[in-house]
Amino acid sequence: MSELTGFHSSAVMHRLKIISGHLPPGGSSNFRRDLRRSDCGSATAASSRSSPEDVVVVHGRRTAIGKAKRGGFKDTTPDELLSAVMSAVLKDVGLSPERLGDVCVGNVLQPGAGALMARVAHFLSGFPESVPVYTVNRQCSSGLQALFNVAGAIRSRAIDLGLACGVESMSLRGIGNPGDLSSRLMDNDKARDCIIPMGITSENVAERFGVSRETQDAFALRSQQNAARAQRAGLFDHEIVPVTTKFVDDEGKERQVTVSRDEGVRPGTTLEGLAKLRPAFKPDGSTTAGNSSQVSDGAAAVLIGRRSAVEALGLPVLGVLRASAVVGVPPDVMGIGPAYAIPAALQQAGRKCLYADVSSSDFRLRFMKDLGIPPEKVNPNGGAIALGHPLGCTGARQVVTLLNELKRRGRRAYGVVSMCIGTGMGAAAVFEYPGA
Amino acid sequence: MSHVTAIFNLNVIRVREVTLSPADHTRAGCGTLLVLDQTETGLTLVRSWEWSDGLFDVAWSEANEHILVAGGGDGSLQLWDTANHSAPLRVAKEHTQEVYTVDWSQTRGESLIVSGSWDQTVKVWDPALSPSLTTLRGHEGVIYSTIWSPHIPGCFASASGDGTLRIWDVKGAACRLAIPAHKAEILSCDWCKYDQNVVATGSVDCTVCVWDLRNIRQPVNQLLGHTYAIRRLKFSPFDKTVLASCSYDFTVRFWDYSRQQPLLDTVEHHSEFVCGLDFNLHIPNQVVDCSWDETVKVYTPACLSVGAHSAAP
Repeated sequence: MSELTGFHSSAVMHRLKIISGHLPPGGSSNFRRDLRRSDCGSATAASSRSSPEDVVVVHGRRTAIGKAKRGGFKDTTPDELLSAVMSAVLKDVGLSPERLGDVCVGNVLQPGAGALMARVAHFLSGFPESVPVYTVNRQCSSGLQALFNVAGAIRSRAIDLGLACGVESMSLRGIGNPGDLSSRLMDNDKARDCIIPMGITSENVAERFGVSRETQDAFALRSQQNAARAQRAGLFDHEIVPVTTKFVDDEGKERQVTVSRDEGVRPGTTLEGLAKLRPAFKPDGSTTAGNSSQVSDGAAAVLIGRRSAVEALGLPVLGVLRASAVVGVPPDVMGIGPAYAIPAALQQAGRKCLYADVSSSDFRLRFMKDLGIPPEKVNPNGGAIALGHPLGCTGARQVVTLLNELKRRGRRAYGVVSMCIGTGMGAAAVFEYPGA
Repeated sequence: MSHVTAIFNLNVIRVREVTLSPADHTRAGCGTLLVLDQTETGLTLVRSWEWSDGLFDVAWSEANEHILVAGGGDGSLQLWDTANHSAPLRVAKEHTQEVYTVDWSQTRGESLIVSGSWDQTVKVWDPALSPSLTTLRGHEGVIYSTIWSPHIPGCFASASGDGTLRIWDVKGAACRLAIPAHKAEILSCDWCKYDQNVVATGSVDCTVCVWDLRNIRQPVNQLLGHTYAIRRLKFSPFDKTVLASCSYDFTVRFWDYSRQQPLLDTVEHHSEFVCGLDFNLHIPNQVVDCSWDETVKVYTPACLSVGAHSAAP
């Protein structure tokens, strides 16, 4: 069917709503249904039926997110964090690790993206040597990319089940050595833009897209308030794996601590307090420590598989991967990544967004407005500003938080995970929670 | 074409004339009424008029062969004359939402128009259209179809998003029967041309139900086959138990509800929602349909050709 134009007209939307109400799932006695729009509008609705070939999420867990350098995980090596979540996920569902066809771990800062570290974690969890493992680095999206990779292997039938993980210790590793780069880098505009610090790209977006300090602070306040409320209500209790680990205090004495709460949340955040903070990257800038994502430590793991294999093992289905998209954007304004990746993923899924977990997004408000996403649907339990952003972990962590929240709400619904990516990309995935 | 032009309905009344009311679904503010003539070589355009909003239904006058009434997305009814090139004869704006259905009564001695609207009311008019003679309330959902009984003067049926089929009496300005015919929206209804007690409904639940108004506890027959909502149905003018239905499933189906296996044929010649259909009153078993694929098709389905089934009494 031809493309729709001028669809902002409310009369048109009303008529489309009535017509949409005639299409499946049908046969109910609702007179006026909520709009359920499929971009192509044809009678064959896109992928809303369940198929044995679906890539489904079985279960996911994460560690608490610790504040880098000062928090409970500051002396914890990433393999320990990773091992904790890998073990927990399999133990929860009673699955033997032999069943895993592959394990993919997102990581950014470890040497070689943590390839050796991951294999060590694997054995620390008692996984058999017969199960392979590898790591992937697509910067901030690595944890989500790990899931995409495992999903791809499932779809190509290389494997039936796999573990997609992400881990980062920003306490023990910094951005550090950028590697061996050509001297021509400085003569190539786009290449040079890749080494712009993230804080400066944030300032670039604020300037170019007119996102004020006030708007950024308001978004940050929302993130903190939502996270604090969720934490108080115990919404993260199910997904967090408590980790008991070593902690070296200021006097050099070592003791054991158990970290089970996200440390970055600041319940006492106020607009006045945020307004007092000095810009962190540019003297007259708008990006501060209060409205940026935090430097953090953490890990997450998600078990995914082909639906037929999952059902054959008697495992539950927590969610279905409905679409995945990665797009490239200018490196100097990399923060706009989700604004392009989200529509690409939604189009693939043929869906309108119901809930979004959008990371590292201190000024997505502008783009949320452009995309028509109601603000209350973005990070209802807080985002990277409040919870933190352990680089390689975040993507996987978002999937866990998203699906748990959809499950808590109970109704069949769709959700989106998205983030911007340093060096100029955006990634997004659409998940379906099938309903209680 | 960058927007969708969906042809919403059509009405065959003459040997050779078809009217269409395409509505541009994506631009509120655009509708066209087309009058086509069927000749040996095909369909030719006789007259067309623009309207400032989509047009959802059209009906020919029974009294005057040049007159038609159309219902618009702006809540208006317009009376058009094929002899007049530019403007409608009359416009009446009383409904507060889209007029989705119009019908002109056929029974002797009366010339009445009935309109059904998404504002949940039905209005009855004479051709002067000013003002409506009566407004009937009762439906609890949008109204999709209002059709005069071909037998009983002042009597019409209505189908609604509230899942009920209602039978109304204009003289008493009252609803005589409210039948919870489907658990989903009912998009179309029509009267049997040979039995004044028989009405059929087509629903979002993908079924056609045939009802005998003397016993409404269950339908006489339930016709299964369509895989998406039924958009319109019509009883044959020539066969007592034959009817046709068109659907969002891109097909037109023909049924004989007196049979064990009622489905006579499925015609799949459209590539989009089929939303309008009608029988030619003058050429037996000729059918015309229209679709969101922007085509109108005139044909005589093989399953209806003379001798293929029981003839009308």
